[in-house]
Amino acid sequence: MAQTQTVTDTGIAELILLWREELATGMESIVALEMATPCTAAVASTFLDPADTAIHHTDSGLLLAAIDTVAGDTVNTAGDTITFDHVFTATASKNVAGIHVCNNDDDVTFIECCFNAVLAMENTDTLTIDGQSTIEQA
Amino acid sequence: MKVSTKGLFRVYATGEHREGICRKCDKLLIKEFYMDGERKRVRMVCPKCGGMGRLIAKTFSVQPPSPPQCLSVRCLYKFFLDTLFCALLSTYHSRRVAYAEMNRHKQILERYRTGQPSPETIWQAIHANIKLTCPVCRKYNIDPLLGG
Repeated sequence: MAQTQTVTDTGIAELILLWREELATGMESIVALEMATPCTAAVASTFLDPADTAIHHTDSGLLLAAIDTVAGDTVNTAGDTITFDHVFTATASKNVAGIHVCNNDDDVTFIECCFNAVLAMENTDTLTIDGQSTIEQA
Repeated sequence: MKVSTKGLFRVYATGEHREGICRKCDKLLIKEFYMDGERKRVRMVCPKCGGMGRLIAKTFSVQPPSPPQCLSVRCLYKFFLDTLFCALLSTYHSRRVAYAEMNRHKQILERYRTGQPSPETIWQAIHANIKLTCPVCRKYNIDPLLGG
């Protein structure tokens, strides 16, 4: 199974809300996904319904938390990229199949990423996430 | 004739799985913010020696190939090769991460933990996949197709 990552439909809808000058939320939270086998990221995934049978971790240091750093960047055109970094520290043995990057109200998933393989975290293990999303022109 | 393809959101994300205790100093790692150029970043470091903990596995973000930009045979063939390479590379990194995770307490080749060097051609990807499935080749770092 390949590593898959995508901006979700709900993430795009949130961006369009911003362009329409309606109430939109920003990228602020991150949560690890729990599943015994690798998942496949899907555009249709939502905060409440992640890819395949994955669920959000709710404890053990892998639960929903504020992203450590979020910043703007430039790849092709000025300010076309958002970057984010986060470190999870596990407090028990848990499987991590991927991540959800969510909004500040913790009800919308912007980005879903399913890793190449399930990471078997043990107590005190750390997982450093290095992510970026770029909007590319045709 | 050049064909315009639609723009897209491109997402890159990697996860770096490390031990949280420094083997050298036997200390718990602590979170440290640092500047990487103009980008503020975060990492876990040992408060005593500055080590980052032993790497268990690093995932690899394989990007799908760009759509063909023209309808000539040459463009379509290039897209076919790019797609084939993407599939082989995805397979390699999936197997590599699973292998590194399964052998977290064993001594294995560092390339299977870091993902570097990553195959850059179809031929290299085929070699890497075969080597990864061969226990003897993995252990003695031998290319099964070249024999050395």
